Amino acid sequence: MKIKSMAVAISLVAFSGAASGIDFGKLLEERINQELNKDKQTQPAPAPQPAPNQAPAEAQSAAAPPPPAKQKIDARQLGFALFGDYSPEEEARIGKQIAGDLLGAVPLVRDDKLQRYVNLVGNWVALQSGRQGVAWHFGVLDTEDINAFAAPGGYIFVTKGLYRRLNNEAELAGVLAHEIAHVTKKHHLKVLKQSSLISELGKAVSNKAQDSDPAVQNLIGNGAEIMARGLDKNAEYEADRIGVVFAARAGYTPWGLPNVLQDLAGLPAKDNRTSLLYKTHPHPADRLAMLGEAVGGRLDAVRGKELPGRFYRIR
Amino acid sequence: MKKPFLIPAAALLLSLVAGAAQAAQGTVLRNDKLYAQPSAASKVAGSAAKGARVTILSKQGGWLKVTAGRTTGWIRLLSVRAGAGGLGGAGIGDVVGAATTKSDPSRVVAVAGLRGLNEEDLKKAKFNGEELGRMDAWSATPAQARSFAGQSGLVAANVPGLPEPKPAQSSSPWESNQ
Repeated sequence: MKIKSMAVAISLVAFSGAASGIDFGKLLEERINQELNKDKQTQPAPAPQPAPNQAPAEAQSAAAPPPPAKQKIDARQLGFALFGDYSPEEEARIGKQIAGDLLGAVPLVRDDKLQRYVNLVGNWVALQSGRQGVAWHFGVLDTEDINAFAAPGGYIFVTKGLYRRLNNEAELAGVLAHEIAHVTKKHHLKVLKQSSLISELGKAVSNKAQDSDPAVQNLIGNGAEIMARGLDKNAEYEADRIGVVFAARAGYTPWGLPNVLQDLAGLPAKDNRTSLLYKTHPHPADRLAMLGEAVGGRLDAVRGKELPGRFYRIR
Repeated sequence: MKKPFLIPAAALLLSLVAGAAQAAQGTVLRNDKLYAQPSAASKVAGSAAKGARVTILSKQGGWLKVTAGRTTGWIRLLSVRAGAGGLGGAGIGDVVGAATTKSDPSRVVAVAGLRGLNEEDLKKAKFNGEELGRMDAWSATPAQARSFAGQSGLVAANVPGLPEPKPAQSSSPWESNQ
């Protein structure tokens, strides 16, 4: 009973928080007090009117864990439970800003056929992820740096330096699948979660797709530095495991990503092109070893295509 | 332990040589069997211990043909790392380029000279809406992707997810928050 009313309070707060940009902390406190008083008066809590894209079920399940016996409400804990998930709109806004910042550091390769090809392969793999309602964008960055990036909301980048090293479509699919897994597992959103407990984005100032979003920029720090900070190494291992599976589900051989990791494992250590990659990822040898523990013989029966013939090669 | 070559030119030359040759060095990442064929159903030809150096002769699907000591056989792709860096970790790298992939001269061009991305570049980056619009214009719809997949006979397959191996030392916030 108590849990339920708290869940209602939270979804109410989530709704009003998303709808307006007013002082959030205060609002949270007031709402909770209101709801608790209602409960004392045994008034039935009003049914929440969630925003269309803010699934109330998610908010409630996120709110369920707090122990009912606890009398004092830890606002920070509630804040965390409440913001366990950004709404799809917020996620898209965050991703757009990070992607736009990253593109401010490195432009896209001016090759329509290449970019189109990568989007087709990427979307096909992303269809196997089970994540609905994401507008996936894929792009090849014009740098010899060897790396790939994912931003929330489905923005995926692979550098020209990495692309050049690929031998077939299955390897591209494997790389993209690793990045897609970061998005479906919301790894970067969880990092933002940890760095700022309560983050109220408010309404976007501008609806124009090509405009910078100051509220989001404030959340993500300077420029695209979030892409240089990297994730927990377990998030990388997880994305490797999921990436191999997504690629295999798309009909490719599962060995695309492992072959790319083998290639990286053989690169010279002192190479400017991989310094950022090594700063933000475990060593390829460690990734191969961890993946090997998970895979064992589980993929022995999986057959898939490599498609070296269709692979688009950069001139 | 081999001494790393510090002169880029020497590394470059070595890469070219290694790339041209069929064999490459590797290190066994975990104790595993060597099979007579690239299949776990085939006869066991021997075994390789974690840390052992192997010579990689060829690859096929999820298998590498290697020579370990006096035994040659097929070992799982994920039980070996290519390169000369040993068991890896801690950024220990190699001077010998990966040769498990086809020899390709473009791969070893000017290894040390090219500048990569760095944290400063990313920190200083200013939002570029024009590039973002370009990216948008290249995006594909699910219908287009399905059609593209169909053109080369790609069919969605039912592949179960992989289990997480025994947790690493530190507890991870990711796993607890799925």
